[in-house]
Amino acid sequence: MNLFKVIYTGANQAVELAGQLVQKAIDEKGKDASVSFPNTAYSLPVIYAATGQKITTLAELEGAVGVAKSLINETTHLQDALTAGLGTAVASEIIEALKYVLDDEPYKAPIQGHLSDAQVRSLGVPLVTGDIPGVPVIIGECKDSATAAKIVREYQEKGLLTFLVGKVIDQCLEEGVKMGFDLRVVPLGYDLTAVIHAVSVAIRASLIFGAVAPGDLQAHKEYTKNRVKAFVNVFGDINEILVSAGAAAIELGFPCVLDVPVPEVPTLLLYQPDHEKTVATSLEAREIKIKVTKIDVPVGVASAFEGERIRKGD
Amino acid sequence: MSHEALKFDKIAGPLIEKAKQDGAETMWDRDVAMKSRCGFGDKGICCKICNMGPCRLSPVEGKGAQRGICGATADTIVARNFARMVAAGSSAHSDHARSLLHTLHMTSPDGDYQIKDEAKLLSLAKEYEVETEGRDIYDIAHEVAEIGLMEFGKPFGTQRFIKRATEGRQKLWKELGVEPRAIDREVVSIMHSTHIGCASDMESIYALTVKSALSNGWGGSMIGTDVSDIIFGTPTARQSEANLGCLEENMVNILVHGHEPGLSEMIVFASQDPEIVQLAKDNGAEGINLVGMCCTGNEVLMKHGVRLAGTFYQQELAVITGALEAVVVDVQCIFPALATLSECYHTKFIATSPKAKMEGARYIEFDEERALEIAKEIVTEAILNYKNRDRNKVLIPQEKNKSTVGFSINTIVGGLDKVVNSNVDQLGTVKPLADCIMAGVLRGAAGVVGCNNPKVAHDNSHLTIIKEMIKNDVIVVVTGCAAQAAAKAGLLQYEAKELAGRGLKEVCERVGIPPVLHMGSCVDNTRILRLVTEVAKYLGVDTPVLPVVGAAPEWMSEKAVSIGTYFVSSGVDVFLGTVPPVTGSARFTDYLTNGLEDVYGAKFTVNEDPVQLAQAMLDRIEEKRTRLGI
Ligand code: SF4
Ligand code: SF4
Repeated sequence: MNLFKVIYTGANQAVELAGQLVQKAIDEKGKDASVSFPNTAYSLPVIYAATGQKITTLAELEGAVGVAKSLINETTHLQDALTAGLGTAVASEIIEALKYVLDDEPYKAPIQGHLSDAQVRSLGVPLVTGDIPGVPVIIGECKDSATAAKIVREYQEKGLLTFLVGKVIDQCLEEGVKMGFDLRVVPLGYDLTAVIHAVSVAIRASLIFGAVAPGDLQAHKEYTKNRVKAFVNVFGDINEILVSAGAAAIELGFPCVLDVPVPEVPTLLLYQPDHEKTVATSLEAREIKIKVTKIDVPVGVASAFEGERIRKGD
Repeated sequence: MSHEALKFDKIAGPLIEKAKQDGAETMWDRDVAMKSRCGFGDKGICCKICNMGPCRLSPVEGKGAQRGICGATADTIVARNFARMVAAGSSAHSDHARSLLHTLHMTSPDGDYQIKDEAKLLSLAKEYEVETEGRDIYDIAHEVAEIGLMEFGKPFGTQRFIKRATEGRQKLWKELGVEPRAIDREVVSIMHSTHIGCASDMESIYALTVKSALSNGWGGSMIGTDVSDIIFGTPTARQSEANLGCLEENMVNILVHGHEPGLSEMIVFASQDPEIVQLAKDNGAEGINLVGMCCTGNEVLMKHGVRLAGTFYQQELAVITGALEAVVVDVQCIFPALATLSECYHTKFIATSPKAKMEGARYIEFDEERALEIAKEIVTEAILNYKNRDRNKVLIPQEKNKSTVGFSINTIVGGLDKVVNSNVDQLGTVKPLADCIMAGVLRGAAGVVGCNNPKVAHDNSHLTIIKEMIKNDVIVVVTGCAAQAAAKAGLLQYEAKELAGRGLKEVCERVGIPPVLHMGSCVDNTRILRLVTEVAKYLGVDTPVLPVVGAAPEWMSEKAVSIGTYFVSSGVDVFLGTVPPVTGSARFTDYLTNGLEDVYGAKFTVNEDPVQLAQAMLDRIEEKRTRLGI
């Protein structure tokens, strides 16, 4: 498989799709319809961080499609392949923003969708102190629910902040994994594009805690690479768009571990078919050392449970 | 042509100017005196192998002499001349290896030469099927040496190391009947078959050439590298510096130049001997400053971090600085001109090898039996010469650059281990390198090797090509004078990653290496051969499938021709930056640059323009990737 070709194909597909959806929204709501994510001062955070531009209307969002397209420059250089991945990220943000244009409440509990600035701010201290030692982003559908739940619980017990995208959400719900922002397991959405809400957190960390200037993409990439200990686990089949999104993750410094074969890139793109080793592989790839020693008690002990209220029934 | 060097090189200009004032003659003067080179020799269509000749054929087809007196065509004459170049190159490398085996044979626990890398010796012993259980390491060494020496003249069988090649190569060589037999025999074969009235079939002459070249790459040179590592230690990553700025104003400067490490190693030890260092101080110097040049320079650089004075073309410039107390040489690539040149200065030009007595040189024969003693004698002579330095005649250019060197395969694999995820892979393999190439993070790998040649601007071709490769995410390994050009230009530093494309830069940062890896001397090209082979084996393919290329941008020696030939025969495309003397035969030229691909899966490409040559290398890499579907 020509990995770069796959990335470019995926990025082109994502941008194409974003373009079509924006057109459809304009047909429905008109060019002046306003565009925003709820409870954020950073407009569309990824686009804002990358370009310094705040998108407020569908007309402007149409322009952002051009930005995404301009990121795709098909050469044989890794840099261009990774940049094309960012095209997919921008396209994803456009598509997710459209959901909020077309629907007042596109995501309903427990599905999170976009996170508020307040939520991002609340992560500042624990991320810096290492109280949240890492941020796994799990995408796809695991081979079975029990395995999915086991992996997510393991991250949860270690205090990591896990984002879920896709069918893995249902798998975890089925297994009774306790979810919620306070419990550090956050189901973002079922579409792959919902992964952008995790990226948005990393990018806003860079804007807020890193005080990196909007538009200084290079500095944002450095901040996320050095300061946001995120990584990606992909379960199940992959397609071009997913691979191109993975390129974006790598460009932000986040390694990806998959359970289906891919052309591996040491430390960045790893194939780990053994789910028993998914967690260890991921933590090693992102160089995460867990500070809290695991205490052998029947329930998970880690700061992920600090926010949990013990209700009467439990 | 020659003065292009002046434009490019900050050092050559002032020193050539100084040479004029000092009344010293240089290569540049002789180049001018040569006027235009002989067109017949240039095209390879002059023959003087018998006394009916010399014959020279017309370069124009159908016009003038089309055959020699004996009837040899241009195809025959060109192929024969080319074959003899390869034979000479193979013999130079192999004789070098032979010396090392003799040294191995004389190693002893309390002698001047000892075993430094026991593990490597034991693994070679295993390969040679030498009993190792419960035996003294020196007994093993001596038996290994004897078997190694048999590789040069054994009456039956083929070179043992061809078993190290990919299965595909081994099968192909067998089918083609080019498996190298005894090393010396292949040289003799060529000398025989290119005698008047022997082989006239161009392709069969080339097959003989291949055998001799393979007996070098998978024989002599490979033995040389292994044995040198066994006796002197396998190189590990270390820091050093390069260029004439490494000469010191207030120290005894000694230049070791040539090839065989047996001598230079001893000079290294001698120059560190406390008594000798004291002697230098007693003679008014701050100490002894040993510097290297050409492949001997590379050997002591790789193994001890001894600083490099410069590349092949700087050998005269080094003397012209007026700051060299001694130039100590052994064999190969030493300008005979150094003898007269040294007379313009206080420099002692000391020849040491009976294989290369130099007219006008001080001759101190190097005898391995008394190695350290003789080395001390040589260093002492240099020290005593310090007082003769004419300070008014000293000009040390203040140019030098830092470098990280010592990239043996062990060093490289050790580096790659840093990026292995312990939950996914084993340590100690080339998988990370193979992965990066397959994924496209690295587009491929290029070996840049070879000499300097006044036909092209010195170092310019090396550097242009290396920079172009790394910019395009092609990792570069270097040996010989090409490596030294890179060292002088600062390309062997970790910081040079900034000149690399994102993919290569990412690899450099994660593995902690420079984008250009110095793998050693000219015999150490076999390290490259082995690395490529390891990657091919790991991927389960044959070498020509890989997006790997080799280049000799400024080659000049017959050794380079042998190296190029064994690389192509081993399935690695070779790109030449100076034109070999073959153009007098359109057929032979076409065979080298096209025909070989059908036979060996690799071929030669020739272009004197380094920018175009680099592009051709990149195109070839992408072509191979496309064929592989990666
Ligand atoms: S071998 Fe043939 S071509 Fe060569 S010099 Fe003798 S007669 Fe002339
Ligand atoms: S690269 Fe060429 S000039 Fe340099 S030492 Fe080797 S053969 Fe001699």
